Amino acid sequence: MKLSYLCTSQISTSRLCGAVLLLLLCVYAFATPLLSAQDAASQNLSQILSLPGGNSWFGTDHFGRDMWVRLADALRLSLSMAALCVLTSAVIGVTLGILAATGPSWVDRTLDGVTTLILALPGLVLVLIFAAIVPGSFWMLYVAISLIQWIEYFRVTRAITQRIARSPEVQSSRLMGFGALYLFRRHYWPAIAPQLVTLASFGAASAILMMASLGFVYVGIQPPLAELGLMIVEHFPYYSDAPWLLAQPLIALALVVLSCHLLGGKKAS
Amino acid sequence: MSLISVDKLAVFVGDTCLLEPISFTLNAGEKLTILGQTGSGKSLLAQAIMGNLPKGLRTEGEIRLFNSPASAKSRRELWGRRLSMLPQEPWNALNPLMSAKAQLAETYHRVRGDAYDAAQQNADYTLELQGLGESRHKRVDQLSGGMAQRVAIACAMAGGAPLLLADEPTKGLDVNRRDQVVEQLISQSQTGALVTITHDVAVARQTGGRLMVIKSGELIEHGDASQILNNPQRAFTRELIAADPQSWPTPERQPRPETSVLMETESLAIGRGEQTLAKDLSFKIHRGEVIGVVGDSGCGKSTLGDTLLGLQPSYGGKIKRHCSETTHRWQKLYQDPTAAVSHAVSLGTLLNDTIKRHRIDKSRVAPLMKRLGLAEALLERRADSVSGGELQRFCMLRALLLDPVFLFADEPTSRLDPITAQSVSQLLVDVARETNCAVMLVSHDPHLIEKRCDRVVRI
Repeated sequence: MKLSYLCTSQISTSRLCGAVLLLLLCVYAFATPLLSAQDAASQNLSQILSLPGGNSWFGTDHFGRDMWVRLADALRLSLSMAALCVLTSAVIGVTLGILAATGPSWVDRTLDGVTTLILALPGLVLVLIFAAIVPGSFWMLYVAISLIQWIEYFRVTRAITQRIARSPEVQSSRLMGFGALYLFRRHYWPAIAPQLVTLASFGAASAILMMASLGFVYVGIQPPLAELGLMIVEHFPYYSDAPWLLAQPLIALALVVLSCHLLGGKKAS
Repeated sequence: MSLISVDKLAVFVGDTCLLEPISFTLNAGEKLTILGQTGSGKSLLAQAIMGNLPKGLRTEGEIRLFNSPASAKSRRELWGRRLSMLPQEPWNALNPLMSAKAQLAETYHRVRGDAYDAAQQNADYTLELQGLGESRHKRVDQLSGGMAQRVAIACAMAGGAPLLLADEPTKGLDVNRRDQVVEQLISQSQTGALVTITHDVAVARQTGGRLMVIKSGELIEHGDASQILNNPQRAFTRELIAADPQSWPTPERQPRPETSVLMETESLAIGRGEQTLAKDLSFKIHRGEVIGVVGDSGCGKSTLGDTLLGLQPSYGGKIKRHCSETTHRWQKLYQDPTAAVSHAVSLGTLLNDTIKRHRIDKSRVAPLMKRLGLAEALLERRADSVSGGELQRFCMLRALLLDPVFLFADEPTSRLDPITAQSVSQLLVDVARETNCAVMLVSHDPHLIEKRCDRVVRI
């Protein structure tokens, strides 16, 4: 006795805020090198630790490098890493999750064993090991972070798919002679997709945090490249002389993570 | 003292009226039955009284509970203890992670305020009374539809609310259980008031009290139940009464022409999980034959179908298929059509998928849709925005387009109102005869089986 009620698929305000904030950060990160003639690495030792304003909007760091440009560089690196990791781990996780839920039981057991093994190690430690093999490599970090993150997608996908695979709707479609691809398109994917947005948002935030943590302990991206975690540790000695300098990468990091979390937040009920 | 008084209550979506203004007053010990077809707005009335209408719907008119005006918010405080509702879809209303006993005991403990031990004992006692003693530790997914309904009823009544709303309380229950449930509802109403919403004329007859007949949101007839049912004034009411399986015309029994055997079973045993549900089932199914399957709720009627269709392993014995037809010509109709169809795309897309997959002649669709009483516009909607009856007929459409040789219909009409159920089941039987498709019809209603089937298999 269900009537068709108004289907309100409104985006909640918090999600909207997250999206706008993320968009602004992206615009800043990706448009700055196009608009500014400044180079993130060019030093000017006669003008170090200058206050924001004047020539450089965010001031200069201890080598006289322009902070506006460096911050944009660092954000660009973090956002690219996040996007790559999310994409890779989502594709791998969803594919394997569906295979595990619908394939023969040995596939499920094997994959479950592998994920349990990986989960047994703290994620950051695993990334540290990888990062230590080739220090400063962007691609090694990417592989390591994706290796950790696909598991979440895998587990969620597997749980959802297992439930649906046993449901009458899939049984009915099977009886009608539809194949695996059809089942994915009409049954599994529509159930998984809404969860992916949330997973991806939180995944992006944690990828950015992981990268910053590695930079902070000097095993991530190496100087002179600009990276949020690295900048924090580099500016640390100057916190009493130039507190705004230390605050900038911290605020940037907080804003990125906040925007991701807002984006992944609860759907409007 | 009036327990509930409803004054010109109407439900709107935007400016469209879904339920025309309705008024009634119930005192302690009184019963009201609201009778109507699927999609006639009966459930909206129940939801409006409870105060849990879906978003986007608004009400007009006034509701007074226990002699004081009640806003939607203040009604929420009464839930469980003073005002209780039996939900329509028991498996959605119960906690999927808890055993039957645990959730019932929780209700006794948290809602009625029994001590923990007393709540456990009460839960045991009630489940025993409902014939669920052996299933007390099962979760919802391990219970059959009828059993889950009984657990939900026990939970709704556990709070001891004097005012009880029952939304289709007997849907999917076999006759014995149905009578039991109705008796339980009546005994409840001796001290309180009972509003029953049903499409089942037999339930209305049994409940007695006052009766309101609703047709597409509009009040058709109103008065004493026995008077209306014995002497209906309006054509719609007469139609509704005639559609009760008990009053269906008995079909003329013509000797069926001998047809070849489609499938036979030899001392087949069926089961689910570790439990064997039935043994020594030996029968033959001929082409074009309509076979009824009867048995108590939870005895393995659905499992029999799954086993015959090869969706589930047999627990012993043999199944022989005497034909080489491809598997997609062995089809099944589900008890709950909403769970059997993808909600992601429109029904039209799903239909096209089927047509494309099996290269079905498109010109066959329109006449069949007309015969099933399906409007073209329905195909633009999704499964969650059509009624259960429409969806069941859509499922029939898809199955019939595949030219089935065998169709296992698992309570296909239990969620339909009697008028639709009569035509749908008749249609099923007719089409089966025309296309020489064997049908196994599961139903909890012995009258329906008797009027529709050639033969009966009892589990």
